[in-house]
Amino acid sequence: MMTHFIQKGNVEATELDGEWIILNTDQYTITKLNGVGGHCWSLLNEMQTVDTLTKSLVEEYKAVQNKEQIKQDVEEFLSNLTECGLIENVNRL
Amino acid sequence: MKMLKTKIGDFFIHVLCESKNLRTMLEKNFHSYIPTENIQPDIVIKIEDGFGVSFQDYYVDIMKDNNQILYRRADYVIKVDSDYKAASISVHDELALKHALMNLFSSFIVYHNWGLLIHSSCAIENGKAHIFAGQSGAGKSTAAKLSYPRNLLSDEATLVRITEEDVQIYNSPFRSEIEADSFSGNLSLASVQILFQALQNKREKVAKSDALFQLMDKVFFWPHSQEETSTIMKLITLLVMQVPVYELHFQKNNSFWELIS
Repeated sequence: MMTHFIQKGNVEATELDGEWIILNTDQYTITKLNGVGGHCWSLLNEMQTVDTLTKSLVEEYKAVQNKEQIKQDVEEFLSNLTECGLIENVNRL
Repeated sequence: MKMLKTKIGDFFIHVLCESKNLRTMLEKNFHSYIPTENIQPDIVIKIEDGFGVSFQDYYVDIMKDNNQILYRRADYVIKVDSDYKAASISVHDELALKHALMNLFSSFIVYHNWGLLIHSSCAIENGKAHIFAGQSGAGKSTAAKLSYPRNLLSDEATLVRITEEDVQIYNSPFRSEIEADSFSGNLSLASVQILFQALQNKREKVAKSDALFQLMDKVFFWPHSQEETSTIMKLITLLVMQVPVYELHFQKNNSFWELIS
């Protein structure tokens, strides 16, 4: 089973000087992301998994040798975004 | 019924009020220096007294149905049509009326996607406006007083028009201590200072993303819908994209102006 993640509908995102500000209009929370986080966020407007995001980051930042570390970071990032109510997971068999 | 015609920002406003005390307060604070006769109002506000109890706290209960939005605090209630063309306000006293008008006007300008009312004072230097924002006690009115002899556009709540082209400041009638003068134009906003009282003067530019964070809780707003919150967010974003925001640590004297001009 692979967990898929996607942006929730009740959010507004803005890019400012390479950083991203995400507003959750349901809960009135604001989350700030750095450039790498913003890259992942942009991809999450379509369904993504830990693997697809990791692959994209490895390509984007030419970091094949750090793939395991990136994967761990992506997992943590997704769990943080879920906690902030900005993405939801959709389980598919 | 007695009517006061005034202009706030770009908007013509008619106020109907029978209560003599409230009308005195209105005429003192909302006197318009520009001719407003024979111009169709953008909104008509009917005001009456005799409502509720004296100030308890800032909590505002917001309700909405198809045609009306209702803002209710212990000392005031506002009913406004959902197209913001007519409103009625019932208050306990003058303080309640002042706060109710700020509440209504901030919602009104966000509805029109015109701009924001920001918790700050604002002074003029060389034909440009400079904002001093902060929480209660941070030094907004201190900074305003220390800016003398510069003219002020606000001492508590700054009236900011935000478009994709520019950010302009209008003379604010929402005053705490220093009454508005007759200036009836608008000036371009050159900088925003987030205030911190300190032993040494220091002014540091804030990253745009942090500026947006810092300004979110300096805006007067009582959101009743997600669209409204998102409009406010977009307006603040436009502001921080066009105007530099600084943290200003300042001593209680006028020397901080050396860091600005």
